[in-house]
Amino acid sequence: MSGSSRSVVPRAGPVRNFDFPTVHAEALDNGLQIRSVQVGRLPLVTTMLVLDAGEGLVDNSRAGLAVLTGDCLEGGTAKRTGAELAEALETIGAGLSVGTGWDSTTVSLSCMAERLDDAMGLLAEVILQPAFPGDEVERIRGQRLAAIRQREMDPVGIATDASRRLTYAEGVPYGRPLGGTAESVGPFTPDSAAEFVAGRYFPTGSGLVVVGDVDTGHVRSLVETHFGEWTGGAERQGEIEAEPRTRERGIVVVDRPDAVQSEIRIGHVGQARSTTQYFALRVFNTVLGGAFTSRLNLNLREKHGFIYGVRSRFLVRRGAGPWCVSTAVGTEVTANAVNEALSEITTMVEGGPTQEEVEAARDYLAGVFPLELETTGQIASRIAELLVYDLPDDYYGAYRDRIRSVTLDEASEAARRCIRPDEMTVVVGGDAKEVSGPLEELGWGPLTVEATP
Amino acid sequence: MLSIPIERFTLDNGLRVNLSYDDATPVVAVNLWYGVGSRNEREGKTGFAHLFEHMMFQGSEHVPKNRHFELIERAGGSLNATTWFDRTNYFETVPSHHLELALWLESDRMGWILPAMTQEKLDNQRDVVMNEKRQRYDNQPYGDWDEWVQAMVFPESHPYHHTVIGSMEDIEAATLEDVADFFQTYYIPNNAVLTVCGDFSRDETLDLVERHFGGIAPGAEIPAIPGDPTLEPIIGETVRERVEADVPLPRVLIACRVPPYTDSEFYAADVAGSVLGTGRASRLYRSLVRERRLAKDVTSFVLPLTTGAGMLLVWATGYPDGDPGEIEAGLVEEIEGLTSVVDQEIERAIAVTETALVRQLEQVGQRADLVSMFDQLFDDPERLNSELERLRAVTPADVSSFVDRFLGADNRAVLTYVPMPQDTATPSVQ
Repeated sequence: MSGSSRSVVPRAGPVRNFDFPTVHAEALDNGLQIRSVQVGRLPLVTTMLVLDAGEGLVDNSRAGLAVLTGDCLEGGTAKRTGAELAEALETIGAGLSVGTGWDSTTVSLSCMAERLDDAMGLLAEVILQPAFPGDEVERIRGQRLAAIRQREMDPVGIATDASRRLTYAEGVPYGRPLGGTAESVGPFTPDSAAEFVAGRYFPTGSGLVVVGDVDTGHVRSLVETHFGEWTGGAERQGEIEAEPRTRERGIVVVDRPDAVQSEIRIGHVGQARSTTQYFALRVFNTVLGGAFTSRLNLNLREKHGFIYGVRSRFLVRRGAGPWCVSTAVGTEVTANAVNEALSEITTMVEGGPTQEEVEAARDYLAGVFPLELETTGQIASRIAELLVYDLPDDYYGAYRDRIRSVTLDEASEAARRCIRPDEMTVVVGGDAKEVSGPLEELGWGPLTVEATP
Repeated sequence: MLSIPIERFTLDNGLRVNLSYDDATPVVAVNLWYGVGSRNEREGKTGFAHLFEHMMFQGSEHVPKNRHFELIERAGGSLNATTWFDRTNYFETVPSHHLELALWLESDRMGWILPAMTQEKLDNQRDVVMNEKRQRYDNQPYGDWDEWVQAMVFPESHPYHHTVIGSMEDIEAATLEDVADFFQTYYIPNNAVLTVCGDFSRDETLDLVERHFGGIAPGAEIPAIPGDPTLEPIIGETVRERVEADVPLPRVLIACRVPPYTDSEFYAADVAGSVLGTGRASRLYRSLVRERRLAKDVTSFVLPLTTGAGMLLVWATGYPDGDPGEIEAGLVEEIEGLTSVVDQEIERAIAVTETALVRQLEQVGQRADLVSMFDQLFDDPERLNSELERLRAVTPADVSSFVDRFLGADNRAVLTYVPMPQDTATPSVQ
């Protein structure tokens, strides 16, 4: 092939149709919602139970209760010890995966499709008859305390936890580490787990998502067999009032003497999942820091070589989660990198993205949507999101069209509304004696230095 | 038995091409394995294979800097690359109608990268890579473990003695001439495998591959791996290092040489590694985590390396006041106890591996990567479909014989991390 014809970017071929797989929605009489999807290319199935039992409803004094209760589910059931449970699961090639977030607890299993009946039986046993034996709970609490200790010495954990604490007003749950602190986890006992389950794990308000090589017509009777006896319900977890700690600019250095790198977090209170500007927000944030070719990455990495990578993220939850730009940078260029990042953020808010950037971000977000729906686990997670955030069953049918319909004005308006440069707190986890002076010279705002925990 | 369809072709210039069709989602993966990794680096050039991988994203004759990322992201695709001991891989997954774009970009940097190389780009990516090293290795608790372990398990003359990320000095010293040499030596069609996997039209794809890659001239046979790639099957002793570092919890790592992936005995090693430490029913979890509470977490895996030996790696992280000596003794007891593995444990290990492999196959990108791997390492992409059978053939006697020969005290590297006392300012090595 000659050089001249190589110069032309190949044209795209005909677009192949993509529809979000058909979701079969039904419910048991006890209120448990069922969502099933048949995707039969591989003999695999993912089962995901979504419980309205997030960390967001836990009092600060008991922070980590939802997470630790989820961890303790592996401790055994009325029928099996923890070791026997693990053996039963691994005999069918499955692992129990518990994910606890601010808004929900999800318990999921993936296995070969022929083992679905066994897998669902084990899942039901874990949820309906957890035993929380004293020695296992003691062990798992010890593991959690050790993990908390690890996080307190991890550069990423230190910076992220400080950023969350400095973002939210005293007492707002989102300001604390998701898994709690040594103080709040210390008093956890088997009774704490049993009480949390008795008060939050109910069929009403929960959903069971089954995706894979299954006949959706048979799913209800299978779920009925294993979850039919389950009863109860509780008031839905409410929205968190996400008050900010401050509406002023500031820089906080969390001192890590002799650190070779600084972990940087810039942000303030962001948006709830229910924001009406969700799609416009996704578009402008992609331009700012949501893709490799974002303004932040092209500046900090490809132009200046300051960093390995940078992200801007809105962590949307039932309440307003944080908006946060995060990166890590060599100690000696910390202030330069912060300065460039602040300038990119401010420029985005003041001028908005360009038409070309909006088009590129829309194409990217609409295009990657099917790429993120290849696996049974990915599809199940997307459907779980609908249940947690009360979104309609046909939500994903219109998803790509809604991304594609975001206009330049809407994206610019969302950038102005969702980012407030004058309220940003800059957190730098790094060597205070090296970085404080240059950071202060930026004149961004008052600088304070904290010791590491 | 898996039945992933794979059709294999070889272009005149030596490029091996695999097509694997799957229409579940209208997306397609393009995956390239180049037969070059950190094992090909010469003295004073450690980390270069990885730095070169970064340079591959800096544009080529017909693709300006950043354009590769812009075009793929604009198409709604994802892309990346990784460097490893024995190979470097490049991959993108794009909506099916953008297949030609991905082929064009990959072919342009296989054939026409040198005219686009500049000192400025090299300086920039050297900085990026040095930041990657700081972020992922130097500024991470236990982040330097592989540097220690590789140096203990493989002698200085062996190509696995140094890490993939390399040393800061060597990265700093890289020149444009190195870039040109490396490219002309290793980035040639006859040292690469291209796999296209997903929803595509077969004949059209073959035409596109020929059109974009067919004109790239083959290179000379690649040079022998530097140093001495032959190895004794075992280390010959227990080697130890104790590192006092800024880590929160004590951690003990044990590494052993095992047969290379290309050896039939590798599968016994793989099964032994799973029985030992994969999942909560594994021996290490049951004993050290659940029952004896010596460890807060345990990990075990076998690295499927091909040059002289692979490596079994096991580690346990202790509690804050844990005694590393006791943790090590606990690990050793379970490792040596593997001579008594029973059928049930092997069945569980294989059931878990089967689910994990099938889950990997759900994504065309990972499926393509596996096809490329089996082609590059075994000259047999179809081997993917029979991989589980080789694991299923492993018997308790095979595991026992493997353990006897490879997991004794004469084949052990033990690396112990202990938290620095709170009042000490600088790390020290004893």
